[in-house]
Amino acid sequence: MKKRVGFPNALLFYKYSVLWTTFFQELGAEIIISPETNKIIKDLGVKYAPDEDCYSTKLYFGHTLYLKDKVDYLFIPRLGSDHEVNVGCPKFIALAEVLKSMFPDIPKIIMPFFSMAKKGHGRFKILRIIFSIGFRFTINPFRILISGKRAFDAQFKYEKGLKISEEELQKWENSEISLQNLSILEQRETPLRIALVGHSYVINDDLSSVSIKNLLLSRGIDLITPEQMPKVLIEKQMEKLDYNMYFNYAREILGTAMHFIENNSIDGILQLIIFSCGIDSIIGEMSARYSSRKPGTPLLQLVIDELSSETGVLTRIEAFLDMIERKNKFRRKELICHSHSLILDH
Amino acid sequence: MPFTFPHFGSLTHVFEVVMREAGKNDLILPKKPNRKTAELGARYSPEFICTPFKLTLGTYIEMLEEGADELGSGSCHSWCRFGYYWPVQKLILEDLGYDFKFICLDYLRPSILLKTLQKEIGNNCSLQQAIRAFRIGWIKNRFTDLVDNLLYSYRVIETEKGLSEKIAEKAYRIIVETKELRNMKKLRKQLPEFFEKNIDVQKKDDLIKIGICGELYVVYEPSLNLDIHKKLNELGIVVENTVSLRSYLDIGLKLNPFVKSPYKTAIKAAKPYIENKCGGETLENVGDIVLGKKHGNDGMVHLYPFTCMPEIITRSLIPQISREHDIPVLSLVLDEHTGEAGFHTRLEAYADMLIRRKMK
Repeated sequence: MKKRVGFPNALLFYKYSVLWTTFFQELGAEIIISPETNKIIKDLGVKYAPDEDCYSTKLYFGHTLYLKDKVDYLFIPRLGSDHEVNVGCPKFIALAEVLKSMFPDIPKIIMPFFSMAKKGHGRFKILRIIFSIGFRFTINPFRILISGKRAFDAQFKYEKGLKISEEELQKWENSEISLQNLSILEQRETPLRIALVGHSYVINDDLSSVSIKNLLLSRGIDLITPEQMPKVLIEKQMEKLDYNMYFNYAREILGTAMHFIENNSIDGILQLIIFSCGIDSIIGEMSARYSSRKPGTPLLQLVIDELSSETGVLTRIEAFLDMIERKNKFRRKELICHSHSLILDH
Repeated sequence: MPFTFPHFGSLTHVFEVVMREAGKNDLILPKKPNRKTAELGARYSPEFICTPFKLTLGTYIEMLEEGADELGSGSCHSWCRFGYYWPVQKLILEDLGYDFKFICLDYLRPSILLKTLQKEIGNNCSLQQAIRAFRIGWIKNRFTDLVDNLLYSYRVIETEKGLSEKIAEKAYRIIVETKELRNMKKLRKQLPEFFEKNIDVQKKDDLIKIGICGELYVVYEPSLNLDIHKKLNELGIVVENTVSLRSYLDIGLKLNPFVKSPYKTAIKAAKPYIENKCGGETLENVGDIVLGKKHGNDGMVHLYPFTCMPEIITRSLIPQISREHDIPVLSLVLDEHTGEAGFHTRLEAYADMLIRRKMK
């Protein structure tokens, strides 16, 4: 019988899903991914998770508890950092151990530890992790090696497909191409381009983002997310700061917000902040301060927790979109007046 | 250019000594934060940032009003928000229209810390002087910790109320003013004698002793932890701080092969529960709670500021440790809204429970 490995569909799974699932699939394990966050999972999480954890971590607890009786192993890696200098979130390191401590009856957790910045882990450590996990499922070392290789190849391919190039971004900013499906965009006479900024595990999760992504798409708005931003541009923005942004996952978010604040090339920025997330409290304040210093692109920040209701969020987004449209109309009128006055002057 | 830094409990004296030794004599010593400071800080801070940020921001605003224009701040590069304090505070203070300069000291990387001490604080003094200042800093930190713990045990048994606090205040001044290394070494014996000579005590046996662990700033700063040490002392409990800044800075202790560092032992003891460092003092705290009974503590109190990222991990692990090692642990969250009365009630209940446990 195949061994069943469970993946809670939250937090880092949104970033590394391809890597993890491909690896275990190639090893010959049965993969069980918890469903998209729903009401049952949310209630489980809110009920059993430590009450001061951030909303996303609470959802992670819900996903894990949902999988509890359905799997032989849970895969919860302890990822300290995946960059030479910059680190991740402390909760990612301790998730597995906290879960084990709080719920002694959950299945065995596979919890490899990886930290590039502080421990100097590199390729050798990855190889060791691959083998230590692999021997639980097969005794064939070649099969383990091959599955590891295939998993990394698949992940690289996935990440490459996600990102857009600098030229594409420029074209998008000049509204020459669109990133979303064209049929959606046809609902609107004047195109609107908005950057939806936040953690990947918030934006892509319908329940925790109160389905903001779909809401914006249904209104025919062209979206860009931090995952799609070219890395070069983000690093360029980070170099302008007089300190090192050492939270690796914050770089993408702040970099995207700062890029659009500086270039003033799109209609608005919508930032999703998860309540009591440590990283968000910092970058939320930073992007708000930078935006107030260089006004031009409107920035809306929404704080989300388990009590956020869809209607409340909807009202605020509608007001935000109305404001952008009014602003654009005003600007267009001003441009026409300006050209009129130019003609009269001649 | 008057220089200032945030108030940090008894460590304020250590910071003062380090700055003076490095050659910075233009110091404005920080005022003790009060309710107004916290309100001032909370008004301009992000919504759910940890409480030390709000208090230090409030202190900075107050000190800038008094004429300071160089602000000293800690910084780190770990799984904690502490390293972002100064960038965000800088943005906020700039928006408020102040003119100032931040000097940040990275306490996790001694080489960078020394460079800042030498270049920015010491006005290009020699490296030797910077190293000397740093070394005197950690040595004096040992004595302030010693005085802290003496105060926390003498306050319980003193006959004249409030005397030991005055003596402790004097002892801190002695530590600050002692100059040469030779004389400093004598302090280890002199300070306990100084306490013994000046304070009349009423000996009681079977005193309850508890250890206080948690996030550094909360444990050290009496205005944030509502002077929990004093409250517990008044309930007849001897307390001891188990965490200290020395776990980062005391390089003498780290290099000395003959002395076992209590912080390393704690990290080792934490292994069964949490293996890897995850920012803040998580590992040390978990280890201290595990070893609590072995160190003669009847219970532990764990303090942390609201939304502290690493300490929530400790908090989640505490129930299991408490169960397995049979040690009562009281975990308290603190922020600027913490009410004094509610806090006191919980401490009283905890003290009663400890007394009943001991009588059994």
